[in-house]
Amino acid sequence: MWKRFGYVESEPLLGPASALPFAPITLQARDRSVQVSALIDSGATLNVLPYDVGLQLGADWEAQVAPIRLGGNLAESEARGLILSGRIEGFAPVRLAFAWSRSNSIPVILGQTNFFLEFDVRFCRSQMFFEVAPRSSIGG
Amino acid sequence: MTLAELLPALHGLARSEKLLAIQVLAADVAREDGETLPPSEASYPVWSPYGACDGAATLMHMLEEEKTR
Repeated sequence: MWKRFGYVESEPLLGPASALPFAPITLQARDRSVQVSALIDSGATLNVLPYDVGLQLGADWEAQVAPIRLGGNLAESEARGLILSGRIEGFAPVRLAFAWSRSNSIPVILGQTNFFLEFDVRFCRSQMFFEVAPRSSIGG
Repeated sequence: MTLAELLPALHGLARSEKLLAIQVLAADVAREDGETLPPSEASYPVWSPYGACDGAATLMHMLEEEKTR
């Protein structure tokens, strides 16, 4: 089953030029959850979590021992590995591993490791929508 | 409204709004012409953590470890 989302214009004055594929997802760590609008980024090697979202989920920076080296514009930001549960409405929750960044200048980014390993995504940018399905739905 | 009427208001904008106005107008023109934007001296931040393969490998290892617990 594919679930369709519209592209979101991140800068109203720029209109469609600023449209990006954001999708709502609920992230959970133990008894805390937070719903975020996450950028579905096929060019990102990994998932990235802004610092404040991790804090809202009760994560302890000092308790995360796996350092993660980020690339791109985030190369200067310190990051540590953090595993959360992520649920897109209508789909079963999956385990998502994030590079939890010290930076807040980014949205939640869902990248190749491991969002794209758990979900298939079809981008239809010219029609301003994209579709997401659990990986088991290939061909469905 | 004419350009002559608009200019005083544009001159009064903050620097960041002037840059935004330039981008909006450039995008408008490009869209109308069906052409891509010309090269610019402006820099645009790239969020995407591309090329972070080491980090991706670490995250995969963490997921595997969690599964085996």
